[in-house]
Amino acid sequence: MLAVEGGTAPRELTVLLVEDEVLTRLMLADELRSQGLQVLEASNADEALTVLQSSLPVHLLFTDIRMPGEMDGVALAKFAHARFPIIKSIIGSSGRPEQSVGDFADAFLAKPYDLRELVEQVRRLLGESDYER
Amino acid sequence: MSGKSGRAAKASETVLVVEDEVLLRLTIAAYLRDCGYKVIEAADADEAVLVLQQPELDIDVLFTDIEMPGAMDGFGLAQWTRANRPGLDVILTGTAPRAVNAAAHLCEDGPIPKPYEPQLVHDRIRRLLAARPPRRPAGRPKKP
Repeated sequence: MLAVEGGTAPRELTVLLVEDEVLTRLMLADELRSQGLQVLEASNADEALTVLQSSLPVHLLFTDIRMPGEMDGVALAKFAHARFPIIKSIIGSSGRPEQSVGDFADAFLAKPYDLRELVEQVRRLLGESDYER
Repeated sequence: MSGKSGRAAKASETVLVVEDEVLLRLTIAAYLRDCGYKVIEAADADEAVLVLQQPELDIDVLFTDIEMPGAMDGFGLAQWTRANRPGLDVILTGTAPRAVNAAAHLCEDGPIPKPYEPQLVHDRIRRLLAARPPRRPAGRPKKP
């Protein structure tokens, strides 16, 4: 289980997963939970914003770029980067984004997702997260 | 992982939670996972129908909000489920008293009014699953 020693009890690491395709979201969430992570599922950017602005802890944001609604995954990742810079982020899409992701996200994953690559990226980013300190 | 009260869920028991209010959905989904259920989350009826159309996803209970945006509400989803996945138990929840009363014929024991205690949902699921006949082992067709 991925967890952080904080205080007296280990704290689970939490991924906010934002994906509008329910079967893809289900597959990704299952994989991340099987790695011992807590997963908060959001079906669009509006739901993700609600979660980010709540008291729920989020250590990593993994969002699809193309989603219905006013805000896409790039705008969501930029918002999270500006408001919650401690949160690591991965963005995913079937095509490379037009702009460099380095300014607002920590990694990019291409669709269709390779689950092993996803787990490696998540582990790498959470391993170097400030939450580990 | 532990059962919140009494009997913990079997690892194979799966609940499909359909709720458009994300914080409410996350709360009840996390609670039911802590009780030992596998939980699939859907944000609306369209997502739920997509999940229910996957024959490889073995779902025991549908727990759905009544009032949801989109072409299909919780009533419609319950009716669709009754027609297309008849072996599945359905629990409805909602806030509007008239809708809640009207839902009584669509789900076992009547709907759960909102706001609800997660324990109440767990108790209802547990009761429904306990009343089910045991599943036949997969891959062994019943003899004529």
